[in-house]
Amino acid sequence: MGRPGIILLREGTDTSQGKPQLISNINACQAVAEAVKTTLGPRGMDKLVFDGRKVTISNDGATIMALLEIAHPAAKTLVDISMSQDAEVGDGTTSVVLLASEMLKQVKEFVEAGVHPQVLIRYMRQSAKLAVETVKKLAVPFEGEKGREMLLKCAGTALNSKLIASHQDLFAPMVVEAVSGLKSDLSDLNLIAVKKVPGGEVRSSFLVKGVAFKKTFSYAGHEQMTKKFIKPKILLLNVELELKSEKENAEVRITDPDQYQSIVDAEWSVIYEKLDKCVDSGANIVLSKLPIGDLATQYFADKGLFCAGRVDVGDMVRVGKATGAVIQTSTNGIAPEVIGNCGMFEEKRIGDERFNLFTECPSVETATIVLRGGSEQFIEESHRSMHDAIMVVKRSLKSQAIVAGGGAVEMEVAKVLREESLKIEGKGQLVMQSFARALEIVPRQLADNAGYDATDVLNALRKKHFHEQDGKWFGVDIKEGGICDTYEAGVWEPSINKINSLAAAGEAACVILSIDETVRNPKSEQPGAQPQAQQGRQGGGGMSGMMGNAMDIANNGARRGKLGHGVNYMKGRGGG
Amino acid sequence: MSMVYDEYGRPFIILKEQQAKNRVKGLEAQKSNILAAKSVSSVLRTSLGPKGMDKMLVDPDGDVTITNDGATILERMEVQHQVAKLLVELSQSQDNEIGDGTTGVVVLAGALLAQAEKLLDRGIHPVRVAEGYEAACKVALDTLGKIGDTVEFTKDNTEPLVTTAETTLNSKIINVNRRKMAEIAVNAVLSVADLDRKDVNFDMIKMEGKPGGRLEDTELVQGIVLDKEMSHPQMSKTIKDVKCALLTCPFEPPKPKTKHKLDITSKEAYDKLYEHEQAYFTKMIQQVKDSGANLVICQWGFDDEANHLLLQNKLPAIRWVGGVELELIAIATGARIIPRFSELSADKLGSCGQVREIAFGTTKEKMVVIEDCKNSSAVTCVVRGGNKMIVDEAKRSLHDAMCVVRNLVKDNRVVYGGGSAEIACSMAVSKHADSVMGTDQYAIRAFADALDDIPLALAENCGLSPIEELANVKSKQLAENNPFLGVDCNQSGTNNMKEQGVFETLIGKQQQLLLATQVVKMVLKIDDVISMGQYQ
Repeated sequence: MGRPGIILLREGTDTSQGKPQLISNINACQAVAEAVKTTLGPRGMDKLVFDGRKVTISNDGATIMALLEIAHPAAKTLVDISMSQDAEVGDGTTSVVLLASEMLKQVKEFVEAGVHPQVLIRYMRQSAKLAVETVKKLAVPFEGEKGREMLLKCAGTALNSKLIASHQDLFAPMVVEAVSGLKSDLSDLNLIAVKKVPGGEVRSSFLVKGVAFKKTFSYAGHEQMTKKFIKPKILLLNVELELKSEKENAEVRITDPDQYQSIVDAEWSVIYEKLDKCVDSGANIVLSKLPIGDLATQYFADKGLFCAGRVDVGDMVRVGKATGAVIQTSTNGIAPEVIGNCGMFEEKRIGDERFNLFTECPSVETATIVLRGGSEQFIEESHRSMHDAIMVVKRSLKSQAIVAGGGAVEMEVAKVLREESLKIEGKGQLVMQSFARALEIVPRQLADNAGYDATDVLNALRKKHFHEQDGKWFGVDIKEGGICDTYEAGVWEPSINKINSLAAAGEAACVILSIDETVRNPKSEQPGAQPQAQQGRQGGGGMSGMMGNAMDIANNGARRGKLGHGVNYMKGRGGG
Repeated sequence: MSMVYDEYGRPFIILKEQQAKNRVKGLEAQKSNILAAKSVSSVLRTSLGPKGMDKMLVDPDGDVTITNDGATILERMEVQHQVAKLLVELSQSQDNEIGDGTTGVVVLAGALLAQAEKLLDRGIHPVRVAEGYEAACKVALDTLGKIGDTVEFTKDNTEPLVTTAETTLNSKIINVNRRKMAEIAVNAVLSVADLDRKDVNFDMIKMEGKPGGRLEDTELVQGIVLDKEMSHPQMSKTIKDVKCALLTCPFEPPKPKTKHKLDITSKEAYDKLYEHEQAYFTKMIQQVKDSGANLVICQWGFDDEANHLLLQNKLPAIRWVGGVELELIAIATGARIIPRFSELSADKLGSCGQVREIAFGTTKEKMVVIEDCKNSSAVTCVVRGGNKMIVDEAKRSLHDAMCVVRNLVKDNRVVYGGGSAEIACSMAVSKHADSVMGTDQYAIRAFADALDDIPLALAENCGLSPIEELANVKSKQLAENNPFLGVDCNQSGTNNMKEQGVFETLIGKQQQLLLATQVVKMVLKIDDVISMGQYQ
């Protein structure tokens, strides 16, 4: 009896389908959101993630999501939207995850009740569209006059939840200053460099309007160079200035010992010719992407020039942008117009490091922020926070409109959606209402994280938004508890941030709802399939230092001589 | 992390290697982090102050380090715990920036966290605690600014600098000779300091250590000491009115960098080659002679033949001198580094008054001292001591002392030590606490209590009765309105630190408070720890 079973898929393949699959996906998403929800808002907490090799302490949703290594296929969608929010806006990466998972949670009961997912999706889309339109309507365009103030507030709001929140007064203007210095190309992130110098106190961080980079690996003779120039001329090279064989694999055959000297001389004259050309070009400062050897260093020192080899590409580009210099790939035919200039060059000591600073540049197209802080982790997190703030300021410069934060805009959108839902007949009404309820997660979580009674706060907010005309900007008052007008309080966010997160969260929720079957290849399911993780654990923290780039070790590692900091370090090559 | 089950009882995997991951959340995470940090700081607690004890650290290779320098202890301890590592970095960053107070900063951070733990138990939000600490820190910094004193010093009157350096050395193993060591540190810093720009370039100070001899034999050489000897034992050991040539090319026939091959086909050719080689050597020596140099310092080696020729021509030489040292010599003697012999000329030579080779004790160890340099900004400390450990510790202590002097050159404000500044701050902070509304008050008061921990630890380490001592000093400070009163660690009979001459730099103290508060905030803000494998 019975038909033989038809084997369609490879043995061990896991398939699950239908409603249980949908519910399981929704649960997975909620579990993920659970992990990041406590980071939301000014009273949000940080997460420490240790992946076996290195530790990250962060409050940034996207960073945490990436470090969690989420394997669940549906939950990965949430990671994706968090990343896209990071790429698109730079901030609000936690709230977008939270929103998406809350939307799913709200419609879960409909799924259980047997509503067809496509119906849910249709009305979810409609609600999301309406929400986005509402935000657009609500957004307050900022006028040119108050532009700077608005940028400051947006940067401040982005920094609010971060570790450096109490130093907003220092960092917010710094970010605004840096971004408004960029004239043309707002999208190029590389134009604002963030340099990290461990040690020192966070308030000694500063902004360089121009370029700053760490002293590169140098050879003997470096200390004899002039370290300060006023109105220097700058030459950028991509040439190796070292005494070495000109051609790889070339071989010289000499039959007569007399010719020996001529070969030696020829080699010397090649390098001297190059050096002479650099000096003749009139430049005071020579930077090269490739090494500048000890011979060249001493030669330049002799002629009163400053040089630095092995300069990072990004720094070279920034110097080029700031000073107008063009990177040369040969020392032949250096035209005057490829030489850059700036107001001031100085080698300066910052903490334990030395920095080359180019300031008073003719076209301030680039800026460098030097971050200080007590520990490496602290600086890393400051860096991430600064990145967020920079992105937010850039975005607000572009979109030129803001909404009030602290959950105010979410509440207002929820109100509009609720009103609108009453005009819909059928199931859609319920879906839209649950969408509205999902939006309330933002103020609720904010209050929760701050340790206030979320239900009380939420009820007060609902009342305010529904009944009072001027109540539209009321949000959670983190400082005192209760509610306040967050627009007045200066908690501003660029409207594009909210638009993007609403749209992305809605999209993600719809995608997850539309899945009714997962077919999983057996291999992908094996837990612990990554052998490297095992090694990582054994290696422990001690190994982490070894992973760095070899040049960094040459730069940093070797500097730590045995005598203690700053007293002695190895430099250059040679005996001893 | 445990499995997650859906409503139908089926487990599902959300994270990669879910089972292997550990997660500690909420209060439990904070408590475990605080515990880790506290245990680090308790290690250092006994090293604080003039009567603090040393730690002996043995590394995997069996090398022993004995020190009471906080940063060094933590660095060598190889701390594994992630949060404890933050404290290690904290002390290192104090070391990099200030160079002193590396123990104090960790003890303070530990005390702040211990106080925070109590507040967390009462249900105060960790971020509120951190914010309260920040507010309190501001008050403490203002207080420090108010009670700070300025010390005036000139190149001739270095007494205040010496006193401050002595305070730093007090807690070190070399405190028997602190006066002498302090003077060495001050002289070293002042000879390289640029008093107008308020800048000190530490690269100009070299430290050489040689085990053997006594600590008292430690000296400061106005010039450079090379851990090298003359290339030939028969060369003259002392040279006056030196003209030295600094070479970065070896004493041998030049080699092209391009791959080359010399085909010798006949005996004649071979002879010719030999002649050439000989000619090179004589020419090189001649070039050196012609330039007027009477000392050759070479970055590379030279073979026996060259060595012999140099000896014959009465040209003393030193070989295998490292790049950094060569650079220092160049700066000190005003020489130019010469890349090849043909570029030798009289104007590229450096000059100095005297170069001598000194031998130590009965051992064969020798050093070359370059003295009376034209540009005497480079100096070298030659540290002597009974054994390697003492020498190393003496070097570290001297370095600390120099850092302090440097800080004074940069900013000549000081506060008084012996816990007096902490007590004054603590009183100011707790006074401020009373005027603050809300939960912050508790955090601010906790900060004041944490500040008290420093004088407590000081008194404890001196064998005094800590609580009694602190109470006495506090009431005296209040009664006399004198913020200079502290714990009398040396039993000298007075609590007045100004009279005792116990100085600490203001920036050092400020930095301690700021850094400790910063790190504490970071630790408190973590409420979730996700890790691969075991997280203790």
